[in-house]
Amino acid sequence: MSESKQQVSRRDFIKKMATGSAAVATTTVSSVALPAEKNKRYAMVIDTRRCVGCQACSVACKTENDVPLGETRNWVEYIEKGEFPNVRRSFLPRLCNHCEDPQCVSVCPTGATYKRKEDGIVVVDSDVCIGCKYCIQACPYGMRFINPKTGTADKCDFCLHRVEKGLVPSCVNTCQGRARIFGDLNDPQSEVSQLVATNATTVLRPEMGTGPMVFYIDADHTDERDAEKQGIYVRIDTHRRQQKRV
Amino acid sequence: MLNRRNFMKLSAASATIGLCGATVLTQAADLPEWGNKGYSRKTGRERKMVPSACYQCVTRCPNVTYIEDDRIVKIEGQLNSIRSEGVMCAKGQGGVNQANDPDRILYPLRRVGKRGEGQWKRVSWDEALTELSGRLKKLKDEGTPEKFMFHYGRMKSSTSKMVKSAFLATYGTGTIGNHTSICEGGKWVAQEFTWGGHFDTWDFDNTRFVLNFGSNALEAGTNHIPTSHRLIRAMAERNVRMVTFDVRLSNTAAKSSEWVPIKPGTDLAVVLAMCNVVMSEDLYQGDGEAFLKYCKATRDNFASVEEKVAALKKHFAQYTAEWAEKESGVSASLIRRIAREFATAHPAVVISYRGAVAHYNGNDTERAIQTLASITGNIDNPGGRCKAVGPKWKYPHGPHDKPKARKLALMDGPKGAAVSPNHHMSHNILKMIKDGSAGRPEIYMTYTYTPVYANGEVQENIDILKDESLIPFFVSINPFYDESAALADLILPEPPYPERWDWEDMVSPVQIAEYYIRQPGTKPLGETRDFGDVVCELAERLDMPLGFKTKKEFVQKSCEMTPLIKAVGGFEYMKKQGVYHDPKAKPVFFSYMKEVPAEKYEQETVILDDETGVYWDWKKAHLHSEEEAIKKGYAHTKKAYKAYVGQLIGNTVYSGFKPDKVNKSGYMELYSNLLEDKGVPPLPTWTKAPEHEAMDTDDLIMTTYKVATQIHSRSANCKFLTELYHKNPAWINPVEAKKRNIADGDMIKVKSAIGEIEIEARVTPAINLGVLAISHHCGHWQYGRYASGNKAPTGQDNDPDLDRIWWKGDQGEHPNWIIANAPDPVNGQMRWMDTVVKVRKA
Repeated sequence: MSESKQQVSRRDFIKKMATGSAAVATTTVSSVALPAEKNKRYAMVIDTRRCVGCQACSVACKTENDVPLGETRNWVEYIEKGEFPNVRRSFLPRLCNHCEDPQCVSVCPTGATYKRKEDGIVVVDSDVCIGCKYCIQACPYGMRFINPKTGTADKCDFCLHRVEKGLVPSCVNTCQGRARIFGDLNDPQSEVSQLVATNATTVLRPEMGTGPMVFYIDADHTDERDAEKQGIYVRIDTHRRQQKRV
Repeated sequence: MLNRRNFMKLSAASATIGLCGATVLTQAADLPEWGNKGYSRKTGRERKMVPSACYQCVTRCPNVTYIEDDRIVKIEGQLNSIRSEGVMCAKGQGGVNQANDPDRILYPLRRVGKRGEGQWKRVSWDEALTELSGRLKKLKDEGTPEKFMFHYGRMKSSTSKMVKSAFLATYGTGTIGNHTSICEGGKWVAQEFTWGGHFDTWDFDNTRFVLNFGSNALEAGTNHIPTSHRLIRAMAERNVRMVTFDVRLSNTAAKSSEWVPIKPGTDLAVVLAMCNVVMSEDLYQGDGEAFLKYCKATRDNFASVEEKVAALKKHFAQYTAEWAEKESGVSASLIRRIAREFATAHPAVVISYRGAVAHYNGNDTERAIQTLASITGNIDNPGGRCKAVGPKWKYPHGPHDKPKARKLALMDGPKGAAVSPNHHMSHNILKMIKDGSAGRPEIYMTYTYTPVYANGEVQENIDILKDESLIPFFVSINPFYDESAALADLILPEPPYPERWDWEDMVSPVQIAEYYIRQPGTKPLGETRDFGDVVCELAERLDMPLGFKTKKEFVQKSCEMTPLIKAVGGFEYMKKQGVYHDPKAKPVFFSYMKEVPAEKYEQETVILDDETGVYWDWKKAHLHSEEEAIKKGYAHTKKAYKAYVGQLIGNTVYSGFKPDKVNKSGYMELYSNLLEDKGVPPLPTWTKAPEHEAMDTDDLIMTTYKVATQIHSRSANCKFLTELYHKNPAWINPVEAKKRNIADGDMIKVKSAIGEIEIEARVTPAINLGVLAISHHCGHWQYGRYASGNKAPTGQDNDPDLDRIWWKGDQGEHPNWIIANAPDPVNGQMRWMDTVVKVRKA
């Protein structure tokens, strides 16, 4: 746990105590306030054309972060749809979106969850988290869980312990299709910036106004509601204990 | 250390021959590094990193292993590997769980109760090896070393050389069983009858079209990650089209440009029809026709290209697309369209695996596929189906004087069961022991092999192994308490691969050999011992020292003996770097076109065989004179293939397609005189499994498959893999389900001639009509708590995740209970995909 991180979270905590639960959008303001060249904005592009659903990322995440059985920071959903013989299966890797306006941060009463000013990564300070589960309710993507080992909220942190040392997240490292591209969206030369600039990308649940920083190329966002609407067979396998997609 | 930028460069450079449209992206200077460096999540300190090699599956990718507090905590891909290019699959990542499985066997165990009762006594290694060497010595002294049977599953490279070539050879037993026939032995044999030495490499880096018969290349395979990541790259970056024929929408089929559902066991019909299209529409002209010079397509080895064309046209004329449609359910127009596309896309690669070849007609399916590749000029060329290239390690061979091995004829199945089981019939070994007519071993030892679970007819396997009158002493060398170890008399625990030494030699998809080693990340846990070390001690106890005392020493000596490795620093270099390839080496293509220098075929003991056009060294074939050699002839002399020098084609002697295991010529043999002489059609010919001819209208054919997150039978103990894949519902098409009143999630009964299982149904349109597909991997009843819920005898309670197994009691069912151990009648391959079943709601 770095010193600066603790200071940030305490400051946010105090701020929130002062303004009550209406403390929103502070992160956006602060990130604008800092000089652009000093700020990174880490993001991920997932090119699903290159994803074959191999789950190496899911397992790499488990081993890298010692994620307990039953909980998942990172998974790959299979979407099977159509009628025989015109049936397809596509793959949707899922992880924390490290939102620009994270709802988990707005509801956190202690400031344990915050968006890092230096790089935009949304993290949980387990020393400050009281395990109230507000954030778990608030996250529209179902990314959060209470880690049974710590009793505190947990989720993907882009492998902060690696990223801080200049390494890509473990899921990126192992991806055989190079479907996951990680980098700094504030650097126009970075691969993520160029991919976002030159491809049609989508994000999950844009209507929530969270500003997800995980961008998908060519992703199939079909869900069970579409199946009902269109009257077609759709089956989604989440490959996690929580078998319903969030 | 490679960074991302260098990595991209390397990737682009490895995709050679100018067909690749990959772009090198401009990168920012402060881009994160890719890896091969790791930091503790707890302390932030850099972790100790050991370059090593995976051994979850036979692909054996180079990896790096991270150690923290003396435990293996993380594994990732080796960035300097030209094969894997640093990426790794889920199974490789899950290797961490092998080392940390709380149900590992930690010390030798001796049975105390009845066999299979689960009563064990901890014994010391000295006690265990005293008993074992005593029994071995007795057999040797009595002149019956063959009554020691060694049966291995996953054993390759340095371990194989130490155990088979040194220890067992010095001991004198040839009663050695493998597991190839349940794997890809059939493909190997078919290849040995066509292009000689087995193994096909698929050059996805340079291909323009991929035609896939029954390979799940993106989820599994013998060279999985090295080829699959290249296939993805080819599709994503160069828009390479792939058409997959499969009974089921595998993830490979799902990523293909087209999935063509096909009836099980009918790939051969489609391939024959495609050969028909190529020949009848003159699509062979060009590269295919040029390649025919190196092919044998008639009985006569000296036929002209025109005669070969005429013979092939005549043979394939019977296999029209309309005919194939009736057999396979694939429309004639589609067959024609894909055949034309394949033949004109040049270079194009046709790939195949068990989905196509683990059938009654598998041998000719693979031979037909070799033929299709040949007549379109897609053999051993950039972008085509290539001869394997792997490293050539030198290694110590043990004592010079070895006895002539004696063996019990248990390995090839009942007499006449297969015409040419070059890689044996391991799935019939237990049956052969039961039968007894070829004798029985007194000691049956298995190594990293679970005969109970890995073969068909599980109940019979259990019954035989339980019967002490059939197998008096059963030793299991095993890191884990699997379904077979549970029936052993003595278990000798080996550490799982992250704690072992080896040199490794898997083939390379870039046609440049990669040398690499496996080294332990930590000391073997508990009292576990590398079996390589154990055979050295056993040899000492039997007064036949091997000349090395440990696997490490064997690996070290091999590094110093192998010139290429010695030149860069030998063992010390390999320990530090893990991998090496000759930076000056060029990819090997068109190896058959190499001309044999005159001094080689003009040697005194080398003669030209009039019948085949083969130059061969009769002395190497253990004949006594030239006259004898002329009289017998190359094709009719035992193991003459070992004496092959070259093939005369026109006026030139080419190295050709070097034979292995059978005395074929140096041609690519589309037409096999050897098979013809054994009563098998010489050119690929349609046949159908007899039981498929005799099916009732409501019968289905049950097939099996593998998923991306488990290896066949030895990974269910890996908690992170089993969390992802722990149950294997039977896939059934909605139309078939409706007929039987089966709803998704219902329990169903599946009955074959062997028996019946009960399993959950997955009603899905992602499978063809007439098929039921059940994956391997699941339904364990041993292998520790993560696999089966059952604790191993030496299991510990030191992993908090043991309390979080949320899939308890929901562990699927093993299909092998009801699959017959039936062989392909030509090559002996286990027919995994032919089982006729009746399915009803439970």
